[in-house]
Amino acid sequence: MKKRNVTKALSLTTRHLFLAVLSFIWLIPIFWLVANSFSVYPGINIRAFIPEAWTLENYRLLLFNSADTVARFPMWFKNTLVIAVFSCAISSVFVLMVSYAMSRMRFRGRKLLMNIGVLLGLFPGFLSMIAVYFILKSLGLTNNHWGLVMVYSGSSGLGYLIAKGFFDTISETLSESARIEGATESQVFLKIIIPLSRPIIVYTVIASFLAPWMDFVFARIILNSGMAADWTVSIGLYNMLERELINTYFARFCAGGVLISIPISVLFVIMQKFYVEGITGGSVKG
Amino acid sequence: MTDSPARARGNNVFLALLDFFRQFGADFARGDIFVKLSLLVMGAGCFRRGQIIKGLLITLFQAVIIIFTISFALPYLADFSTLGTVTRAMVYNPDTMKNEVNDYDHSFKILLYSVVSLIVLFCALVVWLRNLRSARALEVTARQGKRVPSFIEEVKSYRNERFHITLLSLPCLGVVVFTVVPLIIMIAVAFTNYDQQHMPPGALFTWVGLANFKALFSNSITLSFGYAFFKVLRWTLIWAFAATFTCYIGGILLSIFINNAKTKCKQLWRTLFVISIAVPQFVTLLVVRNFFRNQGIVNTYMSQWGITAFLQKIGLVSESLTFIPFLTNPAWAMVMIILINIWIGVPYLMLIATGILMNIPKELYESARIDGASPFKTFIHVTMPYMLFVTAPYLVTSVVSNINNFNVIFLLTQDVYITTDQKLANANAKEIDLLVTWLYRLTQEYYNYKMASVIGIMVFVVCAVFTLLAFNIVLKRNKEDKFQL
Repeated sequence: MKKRNVTKALSLTTRHLFLAVLSFIWLIPIFWLVANSFSVYPGINIRAFIPEAWTLENYRLLLFNSADTVARFPMWFKNTLVIAVFSCAISSVFVLMVSYAMSRMRFRGRKLLMNIGVLLGLFPGFLSMIAVYFILKSLGLTNNHWGLVMVYSGSSGLGYLIAKGFFDTISETLSESARIEGATESQVFLKIIIPLSRPIIVYTVIASFLAPWMDFVFARIILNSGMAADWTVSIGLYNMLERELINTYFARFCAGGVLISIPISVLFVIMQKFYVEGITGGSVKG
Repeated sequence: MTDSPARARGNNVFLALLDFFRQFGADFARGDIFVKLSLLVMGAGCFRRGQIIKGLLITLFQAVIIIFTISFALPYLADFSTLGTVTRAMVYNPDTMKNEVNDYDHSFKILLYSVVSLIVLFCALVVWLRNLRSARALEVTARQGKRVPSFIEEVKSYRNERFHITLLSLPCLGVVVFTVVPLIIMIAVAFTNYDQQHMPPGALFTWVGLANFKALFSNSITLSFGYAFFKVLRWTLIWAFAATFTCYIGGILLSIFINNAKTKCKQLWRTLFVISIAVPQFVTLLVVRNFFRNQGIVNTYMSQWGITAFLQKIGLVSESLTFIPFLTNPAWAMVMIILINIWIGVPYLMLIATGILMNIPKELYESARIDGASPFKTFIHVTMPYMLFVTAPYLVTSVVSNINNFNVIFLLTQDVYITTDQKLANANAKEIDLLVTWLYRLTQEYYNYKMASVIGIMVFVVCAVFTLLAFNIVLKRNKEDKFQL
């Protein structure tokens, strides 16, 4: 009996030890990011993982040094916030409208539209981006935050599948009885279904709010003037790692990375709760 | 009035079209003079039945389309076959006595505005045809002595039986402007010679037929696109499958391990793994790239611990190097990219798998336990088939999204990786390029839009073929599947 307990305890310890080692491996780059952001050495410290001396100087320079023409972090943050708020508003409305129509309404051409959506998704998104750039340029909307808002939210209707999966799970009897009592389709949508859809609304809003913070490719194409004050956080931080800048700015890049990651990861964790719900809700019904 | 035969025939677009035109002919033949007149003046049918406001709006729409066609569409469409003939040049203007830019043709604008015009005219055509049919329907309603709906009632119907139109029109417009039109243009570019030597406004570009597709399959020292294409395609496919399946299996194993009843503090472990994906990818990947630099922190430790020397001894690292070329040697970089992608992808899959595992019917495990199956056997015969069944569509789409996975490869290797293969370099490709990163570099660094478009079309072909095959297999299997709920 006693021997059994010992093996049990041993297997329990190995199990948790294994998880600890694994999660440690997963966190090494994050540790390194945080450690470097407090390093007194401005470039990449290749002598030691843990900095020899610690300082808050990188954060101070990043946030309060307005004389720096390369690192305009407060400006970037403001730009990205404005872009994210507007594109989030438009995208969320588009996604909810499309997913509701595709999930709960029956009309001619519905299947056709969904198939076109699948087909469009098979082209690399970057291909259309090249032409979008020239279209925006002919409208004078490159190097313009509104142009970027349009890029992020214009085609957002195509990303309706997760929300549709959620709407599919809501029982039809509710909307049926509302219709019998004389509610119009728009009332069914706004007064019956939307209040029931809090999880998927939260997911959609956070996901579309986060997209501009994470995107780097499209922003770099649209905002290509080289004016640091116009950039978003991602292009700004990427630029700090250019060959001629990296040895002065790497620690500040890390500080920026930490600053930007804190709000994003909080939102991300909240979103995850609903993401899993949306994914499983949608696919289990398959 | 319009729907029953078309709907009965199912979703076949061509049959539905045929049906529409048959009914259109019937409506035209049977309609009265106002119905026929509505082909000339679109509001005619509405005016006759007293729908004055609607009639005015439709006629106004017609007027706008006519003006648009004459002043905008026709001039551009006239040049569509050549994409412009007048090259930009400085011409002496005797009036102002200065050299001025001539009235040159801009090939890209001609292409863009022609495509836009064609789409607008196509939509106008559809509206024009449908207008006759609704005029006829209106006539029938009036003849039967029913009340003709007022303008207010028609508007209100967009909140009720036509609510889907209200919901879909703006998003669809967005998709047309920001995806459909650009894609048509880029597909068209694949049949032109639009590249650095033919850049508007300085120069013109024109149609070249299938020349670019031939170039994609040609293989010589100077024109090595064929060589590069098959190399890049091979790595793209290897990458897409390796990345998808390593993360898939890893994520499922991890989530099973964490969900096991013996594991304490499940939520804590999950959170620890999620932290690494909660940080934006462009931050983590750029950090990792510098972490594994040739003269980076990992290499410092590797040589201190003698691992570099050991790898040199067994031949994995060239003797001439003093570091491990994590992201600069083709073979090393490929392995590292897949490993780093596991680091990114496994937490995602763990989250998804956790949700699904909780939904597996408990009876399945019960019966496996009664049959005396070992945990390993339960995993192979219960957990995996169920997971595969539920996540099959996800697996297919995630292979496609990995084919298009730009971020990982670009952020890890851009500016760092330099190819030593001259033939690849001639085609502006690298060993570790995916088709999409190659496409990116061709446009952003070499302005080779024609070849980029061809590659974009090839990506579409690869994704479409894979999706069709995979979904056919998946759907066939799932029909017979025991988990069908």
